[in-house]
Amino acid sequence: MTAAGTAIVTGAAGGLGGRIGERLAAAGHDLLLVDLDPAVEEVAAARGARAVVADLTRAEGVGAVLAAAGEDVAVLVNNAGITRDARATRMSEDDFAAVIEVNLVAAMRLTLALEPRYRDGAAVVNLSSRAALGNFGQANYSASKSGLVGFGRALAQRWAPRVRVNAVAPSLVDTPMTRAMPPDVLAKMVARIPAGRIGTPDDVAGIVAFLASPDAAYVTGQVLFACGGRSVAP
Amino acid sequence: MSGRGASEVFVLRPGSVGDDLDAVTPALTRAFAEARRALEAGRPVAVVVAARDLLGQGSPVDAAVATGLLGMVRALGIEGVKPGWRVNVVAGGEGDDEAVAEAIAMLGRSSSITGQLLQVGGANLGKVVP
Repeated sequence: MTAAGTAIVTGAAGGLGGRIGERLAAAGHDLLLVDLDPAVEEVAAARGARAVVADLTRAEGVGAVLAAAGEDVAVLVNNAGITRDARATRMSEDDFAAVIEVNLVAAMRLTLALEPRYRDGAAVVNLSSRAALGNFGQANYSASKSGLVGFGRALAQRWAPRVRVNAVAPSLVDTPMTRAMPPDVLAKMVARIPAGRIGTPDDVAGIVAFLASPDAAYVTGQVLFACGGRSVAP
Repeated sequence: MSGRGASEVFVLRPGSVGDDLDAVTPALTRAFAEARRALEAGRPVAVVVAARDLLGQGSPVDAAVATGLLGMVRALGIEGVKPGWRVNVVAGGEGDDEAVAEAIAMLGRSSSITGQLLQVGGANLGKVVP
């Protein structure tokens, strides 16, 4: 166990979650990486971290994380998420519910379940999205990511001053999911980003690391849009 | 949870879920289904939430539902530009029932307001609800 305490990152088998883990490990945290995908074990092994393969929508999954988390949790990063995009007229209620359950409710369950384990000065960072402000074909995703902001805003007040809770809201990030998009569609989306490029996992991981650090000791209940200016552009 | 409000507006009023995590997904999914049904029928939709929940001043679970509804409404507002959907959120504080009703009536008359958050009765003045 390190003096900096344990940092838990969910959705850590992917590029963004893995990069967030690297930044938190560099800050001295004992890293616990969580994912439904067993590949998280390889990601963890490469970083000298511990891994838990768990479905956080199930009580057993949350229990597995609690069993591995220990009693000195300094950071929780709720990064796990899915998409089930469709026009609202064609979106099934099952797909709407699935996105809410994974992106929002599972994060809420884990965050609340860990309450007795947070050290004084701990930080929770929720991965929201610029889509919380609305996105075509993403009524479910927008609801989940906006709900995550509201949940964090309330917890920030309930748990202050012991635990801080904030959110990061990225726009397009260079991940396997975005690389799988049709190039012309991706190019149109990037053209609407004032920064002129897609975000990188490092762009987001750096902000997560900041919000998790003592440098952000006076920041709680906030959402930081890391979207290259997309949230204010035409 | 819902009912017919002023004018032709379909009013969604999700109640408090307290601290019941199991109620979040059903509440949001039901709201989505009902809002979509009304919009496809050509009716404007107003989702009424407590202003305090938008800022997380009460239950974290209620806050998640209220802000989740706001995100959903904003997405539906974007999708509804072409078909002419009108879907908004109205937020008021305690004792703001009359102001909420006025806002809903106004939304019933408007042909251009959509995807917006209308905070009435002075709720959340000086605060930020991104």
